[in-house]
Amino acid sequence: MKKVIVFLLLATLGVYLAITFFNIGFGDPHFVNGVKDFYLKETVENLHVSNTVTSIVVNFRGFDTLGEVTVLFLAVTALGSILYKKRHEVGARSVLFSSSSVVTAGSKLLFPAVILLGVYVFIHGHLSPGGGFQGGVIIATGFLLMLLAYENYSVSHTWLSIVESLAGITFAGVGLLGFMNGGTFLQNFLPTGVLNNLFSGGVIPIIYIAVGFKVAAELTGVIYTVLHEKGVK
Amino acid sequence: MSIMEIIGSIFIIIGSIFLFLGGLGIYRMPDIYNRLQAGTKATTLGAMSLILGVGFLEPSWMLKALIIIIFIAFSNPISSHALARANYKRKHFPVILSDDKENMDAYREVIEQEDKEVKS
Repeated sequence: MKKVIVFLLLATLGVYLAITFFNIGFGDPHFVNGVKDFYLKETVENLHVSNTVTSIVVNFRGFDTLGEVTVLFLAVTALGSILYKKRHEVGARSVLFSSSSVVTAGSKLLFPAVILLGVYVFIHGHLSPGGGFQGGVIIATGFLLMLLAYENYSVSHTWLSIVESLAGITFAGVGLLGFMNGGTFLQNFLPTGVLNNLFSGGVIPIIYIAVGFKVAAELTGVIYTVLHEKGVK
Repeated sequence: MSIMEIIGSIFIIIGSIFLFLGGLGIYRMPDIYNRLQAGTKATTLGAMSLILGVGFLEPSWMLKALIIIIFIAFSNPISSHALARANYKRKHFPVILSDDKENMDAYREVIEQEDKEVKS
């Protein structure tokens, strides 16, 4: 009897869900030649952003990007919690042999250049190829270089989490400011400026800088956690 | 064609030739040290010359090109050095055909000395 009731309830729920989803109508031809013409026209004429990919990722599908950043954050948290116990048993990481003086001196010179390149890539995300995710990954490789060159180079987890949280709050806060200025979540409310200028595109540079900091902090945390895993040689 | 374009094209051709020779060297050389020196020396000069040529073709990019050249001049030899040293430490010793074996591979004594210190 119980099983029959459960089955009936599930069947009713399924039917209503199916009806709802059939009414949504995926793939209705709202645009004649697809959406590409709309994006290309809107990006240049109204948003004043020269990189169409960035305008789609941050503006038209900004909510999707917020989800992606959250997925990365959850993955990093899960990795940290899995490796937490192992890390605390061993303390320092085990190295086969230390780097030579050429590598240590050279990485000291290259580290600022790598960081500068990463910052350049995510600040110019709305002007040239690249963006927040790519720039963040470049910054994380800079920290990887320092961690490989120096055995006892340590990254403060407190600072990493502070930077990560602030960047996430900035992203969500800019989205909420869109509400306050009478629009929808993540809507553009700043003046869009002139095409091809550094200060153009409204909220797109702000969001991409936040994404860059967030990705850099998260991936640096991943590299640091994995390098300090017990028994890795 | 202006003089700048001709200079830039010549630099790009030189760079392409050296990059091709570097690729050929990686394919043809017998062991890791020969491959590393083909892959590093030839590609460092090749990439530098190619980027300098691009800087001559587009004079407004010259500053960026020079910065990239400095970056390559630092990063390429350092990474090649780290690879070669890691290989030597993992005991992939180079094959020596010369009769003067002791003077050709002086670093091997240092490694063997370090090994004895670790074991004792």
